[in-house]
Amino acid sequence: MNDSTATNDSPDWGALLARVAEHDDKAAFRAIYQHFAPRIKAYAINQGFSQHAEVLVQEVMTSVWRNAEKYSESLASVSTWVFTITRNQRIDILRKLNRTRAEVVIETEDLWQIPTEDTTICSIQNLSTEKFVTAALEKLPEEQMIALRKVYYEGKTHEEVAEELNIPLGTVKGRLRLSLQKLRVMFEAKEI
Amino acid sequence: MSAYHPDDMTLMNYAAGSCSIPESLAVAMHLCFCHDCRQHVKNLNHLGGALLETIKPASTDDDAFETLMASLESHDHSAPVKVKMEPTPSDRSIQHFTNPLLRYLPTSLANLPWQRQTKEISKFDLTSLINVKGFQIALQKISAGAKVPMHTHKGFEYTVILSGGFSDELGVYHEGDFIARDASHKHSPTALQNEDCICLTVLNAPLKFTGWYRVLNPFMAWS
Repeated sequence: MNDSTATNDSPDWGALLARVAEHDDKAAFRAIYQHFAPRIKAYAINQGFSQHAEVLVQEVMTSVWRNAEKYSESLASVSTWVFTITRNQRIDILRKLNRTRAEVVIETEDLWQIPTEDTTICSIQNLSTEKFVTAALEKLPEEQMIALRKVYYEGKTHEEVAEELNIPLGTVKGRLRLSLQKLRVMFEAKEI
Repeated sequence: MSAYHPDDMTLMNYAAGSCSIPESLAVAMHLCFCHDCRQHVKNLNHLGGALLETIKPASTDDDAFETLMASLESHDHSAPVKVKMEPTPSDRSIQHFTNPLLRYLPTSLANLPWQRQTKEISKFDLTSLINVKGFQIALQKISAGAKVPMHTHKGFEYTVILSGGFSDELGVYHEGDFIARDASHKHSPTALQNEDCICLTVLNAPLKFTGWYRVLNPFMAWS
């Protein structure tokens, strides 16, 4: 699927999502799909979830279509919103695969709640936080970024990362700790 | 405002969705009480969004979108809208983050059918609700001023205080505090004097009582 058209000024995903919410706008949804589906699939593959990658994409995009009206710019950017849905659906699929019978078990959505309202923080602040996070990530030394990405995004254990990068376990832990410390300092400096 | 929090690695694992269900329950419960950690998780979620943007996209099937649309359109006309049970406002412990156990407890904390362990300690088991092998999850109630016998942990133990508080050799803990303990810790928590202490405990191995209380081991297996 095409993704070669990506430019610096990306579309206003929030506006597109609003069109989906208000008018079931298929063209807007297609644009969202074309941007996010290949990324969700890549996420699934990175998570060692290749077998269920297509299922995950369909589940997430179904959820985006049905819950578009719940998205609010005051909560997060569309990327973050889609990420949280993707994370929860991945967990949900995994849990269903491991379940042996119909049981009353606590729902994923209760454990990883996606907020639906938050009037305490204005939208501008949230959207700028998003840009800020991207900028903060760029400030991390590459070796820390690699370790963070592998653990956060690929769901790797510290041991697996050490093995892949052929470095001692202690070094992996050190890089992760440093990256998280730096991010926290940057986040907190931002929050005033 | 709680004073003891999950560490950054735990919060990151939670945001990334890579911690276990029982651990996430403990973190989610702490988030009900802690504005700072909610804020940090939010930032860490942004990190997830940023990573999603910078990922190298995988190719998807050409007809996947049309297939999805067809299924969405057929469902949207027929399927009933899924209605989620909303907690009543008075039940919400804290704004913006709902007590994750709210929908699953038969009644309020005070009226739960507590199972008596000793004269001063009782529990309400949640292991089957979470249903993850190797974990024991329960709400524990310790009478005001009562002491839990000295014990160590084979694996780790997460405790989140839901009401009241307790103290042990390492500190004094209050409502909302998140306490992580592992095999290197030996402690005997004592509930604060003024009220019963109720907490959520997540264990990945049975407790081991030490000293004279080891006779309790078979009875207090927390299972």
